[in-house]
Amino acid sequence: MASLIKKAIISNPYTVRKTLGIFCNATRNHWNFQYKPGPYPKNAAEREAAAAKYGLSIEEYQPYPESMGYGDYPKLPEIGEDSRDPHYPYDNPELKRNFNEPIHARMEIFGGDRYDPSMKRRFSLLHQWTWFLGVVGGSAALFFYLENFKFGRPVTMKQYPTNGPHYSWGGK
Amino acid sequence: MGQIMGSYGARNVGLYMDDAPTFDPQAGFDYERQPRVMKAREADLISAKIPPKHRDYCAHYLLEYQSCRYKNMPLLYKCAHEKHHYLTCEKDDYVMRMKEFERERRLRLREKRITGVAF
Repeated sequence: MASLIKKAIISNPYTVRKTLGIFCNATRNHWNFQYKPGPYPKNAAEREAAAAKYGLSIEEYQPYPESMGYGDYPKLPEIGEDSRDPHYPYDNPELKRNFNEPIHARMEIFGGDRYDPSMKRRFSLLHQWTWFLGVVGGSAALFFYLENFKFGRPVTMKQYPTNGPHYSWGGK
Repeated sequence: MGQIMGSYGARNVGLYMDDAPTFDPQAGFDYERQPRVMKAREADLISAKIPPKHRDYCAHYLLEYQSCRYKNMPLLYKCAHEKHHYLTCEKDDYVMRMKEFERERRLRLREKRITGVAF
């Protein structure tokens, strides 16, 4: 084994260093240069090549606008993990993901513990805002209206020797 | 209920909680009202570090109670009588304030009735 490694280092040092670099960088930084997408596809042949690279058919392949700097990375539908079919036998059931399935460019936010843009809401946003502003605004309005109608206990000010003479009750 | 209605009914004469009485304290009595006496000395209160909000007409009971606590720590049940005296005095003080409030309310109503001036 040691002699094999020595032979590899002597005969092809560049490949060994590159492979080592990929492993080190991937574990340290969770990134390596192979994750980098290719350049933005300009013509039909490049598009076809990019679609094949990401395992997509040419019809469903659609790159991001060039100005966004994602290169040839495909623009995938924004479906959060929660919106995926829970009963499908996925290869990775914990992520609801199949082997070699292309990953969305903003995959970090679409996890099951995070945001789901394609979520089906139980109540519409208008419904939610109406109730929220109705309750909070109504309570605030009531609070400010009732500022002028405060109750208190039927007592005069606290009697201290410092704030004037006070007189006791009951004669002799 | 009573404590709410007590101040609620005073609203129509513009009287609220913690207001100062405005009438002559001796008016309408068939006896001379005695001024309340502060029994504790200011120097003692300062020495005992009694906060200003507790330096009322019951402060001498509070001084007794606190010195008892100091002497008997940690057997604080021995200060039950001192505590009771202090709290009774505070209760009486509160009742006096309630009486002042009711007197003020009735005198204002009387003034309104006699002069016919609306508040």
